[in-house]
Amino acid sequence: MQLTEDDLYRSSTQFRKWSFTAQQLHAQRQKTNLSATERVKANVARVRAQRAQQAADSDSISSGVDNCSGASTPNVVTSAVEVNCLTAEEELKIVNDFCERAIALGTHNNFPSPVVPTCIQYMRRFYLYNSPMTYHVNIILRTIMYLATKVELCTVGHINVGPFAEGAGRNVTTESILAPEYVIMQGLRYNLDVRHPFRGVKAGNMEMLEILHGKYQGPSQGLKAAEVQAQMLQIPMKVNGPAMKMPANKVEERIHQAYSTATQTLRNVAVLTDAYFLYTPSQIWLAAHLLADEPLTLFYLNLKVPPSHPTYPKLLTTLRNCATLISSHRLYVYNTLPQAEKDAREAIHQAEVKKLVQKLKNCRDPDKVDLVKLNQAQKRDAVEGGALEESKAKRRKVARETYENEADAFWGPELANKAE
Amino acid sequence: MSKQPARAAAASKRLAEDGDICPVCKSSRYLNSTMQFKINPACYHRMCDTCVERIFKRGNSTCPIAGCAKTLSWAKFRRATFEDLKIEREVDIRKTVMDVMNKKEEDFETLRDYNDYLEQVEEIAWNLILNIDVEATTGKLERWKQHQKAELDAGPPLASGKGATQRKASQSSKKKDEAETGFTFHGLKKRVAPVKEAPYDPWGGWSIAPQYYVLQDNYDVDWYKRIKTDVHHVAGGHSLQDYCSQALRDAFGGLGVFIEDEILARDTPSMDADVGTEHAVAAAMSGKDANMNVNMDDVF
Ligand SMILES: [Zn+2]
Ligand SMILES: [Zn+2]
Repeated sequence: MQLTEDDLYRSSTQFRKWSFTAQQLHAQRQKTNLSATERVKANVARVRAQRAQQAADSDSISSGVDNCSGASTPNVVTSAVEVNCLTAEEELKIVNDFCERAIALGTHNNFPSPVVPTCIQYMRRFYLYNSPMTYHVNIILRTIMYLATKVELCTVGHINVGPFAEGAGRNVTTESILAPEYVIMQGLRYNLDVRHPFRGVKAGNMEMLEILHGKYQGPSQGLKAAEVQAQMLQIPMKVNGPAMKMPANKVEERIHQAYSTATQTLRNVAVLTDAYFLYTPSQIWLAAHLLADEPLTLFYLNLKVPPSHPTYPKLLTTLRNCATLISSHRLYVYNTLPQAEKDAREAIHQAEVKKLVQKLKNCRDPDKVDLVKLNQAQKRDAVEGGALEESKAKRRKVARETYENEADAFWGPELANKAE
Repeated sequence: MSKQPARAAAASKRLAEDGDICPVCKSSRYLNSTMQFKINPACYHRMCDTCVERIFKRGNSTCPIAGCAKTLSWAKFRRATFEDLKIEREVDIRKTVMDVMNKKEEDFETLRDYNDYLEQVEEIAWNLILNIDVEATTGKLERWKQHQKAELDAGPPLASGKGATQRKASQSSKKKDEAETGFTFHGLKKRVAPVKEAPYDPWGGWSIAPQYYVLQDNYDVDWYKRIKTDVHHVAGGHSLQDYCSQALRDAFGGLGVFIEDEILARDTPSMDADVGTEHAVAAAMSGKDANMNVNMDDVF
């Protein structure tokens, strides 16, 4: 009973649950957007009706006295305008922008390398089935980042939720970080494993250097290590360029250069695309490497899969498609532009995003605005407003007190809180 | 001798049998309520534990009961389980016999054979209980015990396949057993040693056969060489080889997996579409208060 690397990858949740065709991905986003739009409209209509009802009631009780108060600040609920919801494309743009912010946040907090890419993939996975209109991206991003630090065993600075909340910005409380955690876990279908291409690209780099040093033992299409080494020294600089003889130290430099370029592309661009949904990590790193140094990558690939192999053309097409996906990303294109042009384009982009975030403010689901309170209502007695029936609240309170007393009897009373 | 002491002796003897007066020191339980009686399975004579401590604590000694010259050891003294010491002795004997004669029904070819065997065992037990041929019987038991031990210690039988010759051999070995132990049990199957358990394989027989790479014993790469000699890495017990293996698996895992093809081939939606936001919509549309609506897909 033997497994190949491909079989192993097929067993991962990333392949089983989180891989899609481009059409599926598009359809799913449309579907999520559609449901969220309907939901927002239905909820807004309900809340407005309630308010109208309340206003009417108070009118009948205290007739005519001060019945025009409270309608001073217009928002989704108070204004009478039809809710203008985001489209699926606009949602995606917002999510993409917050993924970029995740990179900045990670750099700012100095998180170790796999935290941010994992965080971004969680974001993309979460918003495939949920809409920013339902759960606001800003709130979710903070919690997902916190989740990612836990998942990636980030021990640097011993991330506890308290300090994390403090570092995450003004008005961020521990509760606001923790409240959406369960929603997110469900949204991620409890699949926390993300297969990244980073270790793969390192292994590729390692093997290329090994080839250069003439000690390569992997598949080589019948060539000896020394022959492969000799061939490597003759790789042309450009595709279809003339074969040339390069000194070994130049080639080593070239390999390192390709590695660092590819890693940069993976870290800063590939994670922001749909590549993780559409391609396997192995294809992603090879595509990034292809963008960095095509002749070198093809030489390496041909050792692994000879061009005569039946799936070779398909593999190459897939890699090129993936490379196109990465290289057509805004941030990748910027690398090729002069600074002025880059700045101009970025300004336009930022303005667009800002407008969308503003638009999002006016189409949020009124039921899901305050996740902290919802979380409390779900877990404990709702603190105010009779959100829970009295008897139910009382029963819960009694149950909790009994439980706490029992726990105290067994473990001793709770230690005094440090903060107090 | 006058009649008087004889009568007194008879009385005390009766009392001793009743279990209230120690036949050795004549002290009575009536005077000492904590007194306990003990016996030694060598002769089953009863005496009080004070006497046991006094006489045997310092080493083996002969039984103080008149007419009994057995050498008793302190360690073997114990409280009798049964009032009737005859029964106590019978139980002990049966226990020793059963320890040795421990065949089960499935060890015999037929039930008849098993019953015959049980009858022989019963005969042995009664011989010992009634003190008939004790020496010969215990000798036989001892030899049978040795024989079984030898059988247990022997490794698994050689692979069969020699057919007739092996049967002959087993018959001759049976004859030999008979001569050695003095027992013949008709229909007793030859003991088959259990198959030796294979070492536990956490992968359940699966292994990885990489098609795109070969994990090398060593890599001539800067960081590899550096880490290999770096005390901080080595001391932690991290295996650099494992890291490389995983990295290479990452590098090629899924290289030949074409997501589009494979997903269309499996032709089922990769996830049930009825979850997430959509479910919440249903709740909102049906007018239920989403806050109170506790369900798995929409926690709030
Ligand atoms: Zn005594
Ligand atoms: Zn005795």
